[in-house]
Amino acid sequence: MAQPSSVIHFSGHQHFRNRLALSILSGKHVRIDRIRSEDKNPGLRDYEISLLRLLEKFTNGTIIEISVTGTAILLKPGVILGGTLQHDCPTSRAIGYFLEPIIMLAPFAKKPASVTLRGITTDEHDLSADILRTVTLPHLQLFGISQGLELRIKKRGAAPGGGGEIQFLCPIIKQAKTVNFIDPGKIKRIRGIAHAVRVNPQLSNRMIEASRSILNRYIPDIYLYSDVYKGDESGKSPGYALTLQAESTTSAIYCAEAISEPGVAPEDIGLKATRALLAEVEKGGCVDQKHQCLVLLMMVLGSEDVGRCRMGEPTSKTIQFLRDIRSFFATSFKIVPADTADPECTQLTYSCYGTGYVNANRTLA
Amino acid sequence: MDDKPHKAHRPSQSGAKAEKKDKAKGKEKKRGFNEKAFAPKSGRRADRQGRRNVERDQTRLHVPLVDRTPDEDPPPVIVAIVGPPGVGKTTLLKSLVRRYTKQTLSEAKGPITIVSGKKRRITFIECNNDINSMIDIGKIADLVLLMIDGSFGFEMETFEFLNILQAHGFPKVIGILTHLDLIKKASTLKDTKKALKRRFWTEIYQGAKLFYLSGVLNGRYPDTEIMNLSRFISVMKFRPLVFRNSHPYLLADRIEDLTPRELIRTSKGKCDRTVTVYGYVRGTNLRLGTKIHIPGVGDLDMSSVTVMGDPCPLPTAESEKRRKLSEKKKLLIHAPMSDVGGVMYDKDAVWVNVPGSFTRGNRDAPQGEGEQMVMDLQDVDATLEDRVAQSSIRLFGTSSQALKVDSSPIRRDEEGSSDEDDEEEEEDEHSDSGIGSEEDESDFEDQEEDDEGLTENTHNTGRAGRRIVTRSLPSSSKKEKADVEYADSDSDLGEDEDMDRIGKRVRLDEDEEDFDIPSDEEGLEDDEDEESIPKWKANLTEHQTDDDDFFQVKNKQADDSEVLDAGKEPIDPESLKKWEDEDMLESIRHLFITGGDGPPVEGEGVEGEDFGEGEGGDEEEGGSEMGDAEARPSDPAADRAATLAAKKELLKKKFDEQYDDPEGPKMDFYDEKKDEISRQLALNRAEFENVDSEARALIEGYRPGQYVRIELQDVPCEMIENFDPTYPIIIGGLLPSEERFGYVQVRVKRHRWYSRTLKTNDPLIFSLGWRRFQTIPIYSLDDHSIRMRMLKYTPEHMHCYATFYGPVTLPNTGFCAFNSLASDVAGFRVSATGVVLDIDRSTKIVKKLKLTGVPYKIFKNTAFIKDMFSTSLEVAKFEGANIRTVSGIRGQVKKALPKPEGCFRATFEDKVLKSDIVFLRAWYSIQPRKFYNPVTSLLLSEKSKWAGMRLTGQIRRDEGIKTPLNVNSTYKKIERAPRRFNPLVVPKKLQAALPFASKPKLMKAQKNQTYLQKRAVVMEPEEKKALALMQQIRALRKDQVSRRHEKKEEKKTERAKKLEKEEAKRAEKDKERKKDVMRMAGQKSKREAELEDGRGRTKRRKT
Repeated sequence: MAQPSSVIHFSGHQHFRNRLALSILSGKHVRIDRIRSEDKNPGLRDYEISLLRLLEKFTNGTIIEISVTGTAILLKPGVILGGTLQHDCPTSRAIGYFLEPIIMLAPFAKKPASVTLRGITTDEHDLSADILRTVTLPHLQLFGISQGLELRIKKRGAAPGGGGEIQFLCPIIKQAKTVNFIDPGKIKRIRGIAHAVRVNPQLSNRMIEASRSILNRYIPDIYLYSDVYKGDESGKSPGYALTLQAESTTSAIYCAEAISEPGVAPEDIGLKATRALLAEVEKGGCVDQKHQCLVLLMMVLGSEDVGRCRMGEPTSKTIQFLRDIRSFFATSFKIVPADTADPECTQLTYSCYGTGYVNANRTLA
Repeated sequence: MDDKPHKAHRPSQSGAKAEKKDKAKGKEKKRGFNEKAFAPKSGRRADRQGRRNVERDQTRLHVPLVDRTPDEDPPPVIVAIVGPPGVGKTTLLKSLVRRYTKQTLSEAKGPITIVSGKKRRITFIECNNDINSMIDIGKIADLVLLMIDGSFGFEMETFEFLNILQAHGFPKVIGILTHLDLIKKASTLKDTKKALKRRFWTEIYQGAKLFYLSGVLNGRYPDTEIMNLSRFISVMKFRPLVFRNSHPYLLADRIEDLTPRELIRTSKGKCDRTVTVYGYVRGTNLRLGTKIHIPGVGDLDMSSVTVMGDPCPLPTAESEKRRKLSEKKKLLIHAPMSDVGGVMYDKDAVWVNVPGSFTRGNRDAPQGEGEQMVMDLQDVDATLEDRVAQSSIRLFGTSSQALKVDSSPIRRDEEGSSDEDDEEEEEDEHSDSGIGSEEDESDFEDQEEDDEGLTENTHNTGRAGRRIVTRSLPSSSKKEKADVEYADSDSDLGEDEDMDRIGKRVRLDEDEEDFDIPSDEEGLEDDEDEESIPKWKANLTEHQTDDDDFFQVKNKQADDSEVLDAGKEPIDPESLKKWEDEDMLESIRHLFITGGDGPPVEGEGVEGEDFGEGEGGDEEEGGSEMGDAEARPSDPAADRAATLAAKKELLKKKFDEQYDDPEGPKMDFYDEKKDEISRQLALNRAEFENVDSEARALIEGYRPGQYVRIELQDVPCEMIENFDPTYPIIIGGLLPSEERFGYVQVRVKRHRWYSRTLKTNDPLIFSLGWRRFQTIPIYSLDDHSIRMRMLKYTPEHMHCYATFYGPVTLPNTGFCAFNSLASDVAGFRVSATGVVLDIDRSTKIVKKLKLTGVPYKIFKNTAFIKDMFSTSLEVAKFEGANIRTVSGIRGQVKKALPKPEGCFRATFEDKVLKSDIVFLRAWYSIQPRKFYNPVTSLLLSEKSKWAGMRLTGQIRRDEGIKTPLNVNSTYKKIERAPRRFNPLVVPKKLQAALPFASKPKLMKAQKNQTYLQKRAVVMEPEEKKALALMQQIRALRKDQVSRRHEKKEEKKTERAKKLEKEEAKRAEKDKERKKDVMRMAGQKSKREAELEDGRGRTKRRKT
């Protein structure tokens, strides 16, 4: 009867989220095996299972088969549904881990998404809620996803206890706009959020001061907010962090973040975040490293026109992501040095021909 | 006859006519332009006129759509010739081809591509009368020449075709009336033309172009008329159609079977075939790796796509100087399926027809394509093998020794038509690409392997088929290997589903894995020790240097610790150390707006440039900044020149902005959009201009206008066995989402010319997207936005929803539906049209279900209801549900009764009667059946005889099976016992107490005769007399009435007779008229038969 779609096959647990997201977007079945098959604790981790649950809830008609040992899964994606959804994330990973694939899928859902996630809002591995709100969402705006795009941080929750809550609102679009972003511009403003939960609120001010000691030399337009959550909204564990964001004249955004570590003074955390930001600024480009995958994906999903974007060199994650894109969407990128005149320049221009991906899940009338 | 020069017109110099003309001339001079004549009389009118003009301007605007067809080297325009049989399609095709190329086709089959102008090529294709072909043609034609028999009028197929066109985006249509010479009378001709034109206009649009072709001369239409038509065709502009501008597609003009002969022989021709199709890419870019759909065959995978030399190229720059197309170019024609130039591509051979006697040296004789080909072959002085051996190809730039290729690469034999030079070039391209990147290296090796395989057999082969035998062998063995590899993988998910497919994929990915996944690990490891080299470059060097370590790397991976799939890269404190340095901090100051122009470069100052003071600086400064940042060559002079140029450019732009239109940007929304589109298109063209063709194909796919060869695997053998060039083969590209299946919700309306209503769960054939398929829809209507309620039949003159299981198609795609595609169906075949609304994996359609029960015990407002449910569990499910009696008393289900099972207590708003029926209205959700049956008409030997799933009743009728009859379902006579009402009994005590008026009337009717009845009457003599008189009068009256009656009867019969006579006369006349009509029809059919005969005869004569 219906011809089975081709199955794309992967091995290993790496790049799990991106592959799932690509599979759901492209509608191709995906098989991932040898997931930690050599590990002492083989198979999928609890957060990966939780992610699969979340994706199953977020879509309609998705079939996920997990082998007995948990070292292989087969995903037959359904249609992206969107809508209102709540999910409790395990405390082994932060909310960012779960929200990143959702951000990739939500614009192409059937209904505008309103996803409430509970768990850890900031940890050292994943994008924190602040970065997602202030940096990731503006990146989506490049592609015409703006009206009603919002991330609300209702409660903050630091690791390991968690207890945070965020709400992600995303509109649906018909087609992603083609992006042509090759002028990184110059940095015109720096913003930052220093938050502290269940610790002395003074800590955030100390971080801000330390950060300002470096940043003040560059531009006057620096606002670092101290964001203290109290009582019920501050989660279950103590912690603090500084998130910095630099915006250029062409609204390219760079970001960096440092979170509290035991035995380290808040000043050092502030300095660490600031230096990380400067390192990011030095790398340059129009998109910072953490968001390369998202931007490249949306470029591929654009209309059948040439999209261009200037970025720093690809991270290993991005390289694999580009390969995965080729197997899912049969599209490759042209990557050339951005500045041929300058041999020092490490920035690259990524250009691709969009696949003309149209949101087929959208309901008419 | 037409070519004979006419006598020039000589105006009369004297006489009445000349005088009249003179007078008119004087008037003409006097008239001139009268300004007042068109000026408005009043201000209000002027206002209204102005407004109307503006409105009319607005109606001229259309939604700006992107046209993906490239401006330079566009694919040929597809011109389809459609019409009923015998209307003159082939004649028109031949005439048009003759007009463009001066060649006479003896047999026009399949697409025929010709060059029509300096910037336009045309592919003509004739559409046969099969509705399947009409559907396919309607989806790809840019221009339709709709032929109508003027002597007969429109036929049903024409209207069907127009409706198909409407559903799939209306291409341009030119009507052509033929057989007008059969209408002898001038006035009839005029009337016919007028009537047909009016009908045509209502179908297309008011003012649609309609051509008239008179009789046939020398088997062609008159040259002048054809020339007029061709002029219209060549200036026709096309509006982009949405579906075609989002899908790539091809009209295959050539198809070859590459399956090894041996395999076909051993499987008795039943094995799946490997097939190549050739054609111009149209629509959007075609990407390798996506699926394609061939309407009439099914979904297929492309195994390779190759760009071929254009068989029918547009004139190039050298001929550009001339205003007109040169005569040589005019002769170009590409029609592999017809026998152009004496070459005919059969299923498995190429035939070269040589008229008369043919000798090699005979230069003055006209040589066709085929002869040229053969002669070229004879002219070759060295074998291909030798030539390839002579050419030296280096794999890498650094490698000292050239590659040795022992035999000719593949894809040699397939491109017979393109000339030698082209081939050479192509071959070079191939090898170049191999050199380019390491990724392709493995491919290249594969190819080499194949080539080596070829060498063994090339010596003794002269035929195309045998060579390919060896070609397929390595690949098949590879597949086996892949399967073995797969076996040791740790799961068996989805294996049973499509082992074959997975196997194939696995092979690909296994290759990749060896390369890719370890590479990341390497990258990660490298991070720690070497920071200076960019990561991505580091990976590359890694690959190049230690190829031997491939398998060792894997082992490393095994004992590697958990790699988190993290969003953030961990911050390396070591790398941040450098930011403690003040110089380092200063070094990035130029990246901030306060930081000036660029990184401080020693030795070379930027002369004449002041450091910008932030964003407050004016345009000029900002421009200089940017210009400077971009161009930083070492040469200061060039640098200065570049900055100066950039500055000038900016100044000029500013000036233009200020002085060209002082009121600021005047572009309205429409112009803005158009401008945006054109800018994007320019960027699309420019971006990959100087990327080499192989990489370009990888990045953006194969562009429209390129002539490609697509190799398809696993094609059903019937497609080749039953190949018929008169049926178009279309290769439609599918978007990633369109490979999937799901429930498709559409808005549908039964066609008003389709005579029957459509029924839920009856199979229907849809033409949707590229596909034609049969599926089972369920019709529904939105019930107050609460529920989707199933409809058993489609409503009259109204849209409704239909939901069916089928391939996902983008919302807003139009479709048309058919109950049957057979040609013997009387009446209109397009049964419904509509548009796709929604795609989902589940449906929400419900149908009404009424549960009934009867009260068996009634209290005040409470009643016990039985016969509605059979268990108390069911009752529990419906607790609290609303119920109602037939008489309209509302109530609620309360609780199940312990005994008897299935009965329950219910409360009502009033006391119910025992005779009332209680019912519960429930909604039962239904799913459409998962039935999808593609119309595989191209696989049949008789392509118009496709039969899909039949209805149960149809099967029973065909097979002669009686409908099984359930005894319980038979209709029996309903025996309704007369309802007996017991007499009202009023207790005696009560009776006594009642007042008289209210007392029941208990008197019985009298049985004995009364006095009045039994008394004897004795009359007086007068009385007797009077009675007698009365009796006589009555008798008289009776007689009179009877006589009158008789007379009336007589008159009636007379009248009937008269009427009968008249009726007979009328019947005679009717008969006469019918006879006339039949005679006319007979004559027409006879003429048609003669026409057919005549064609047959000419054909015979030619062959």
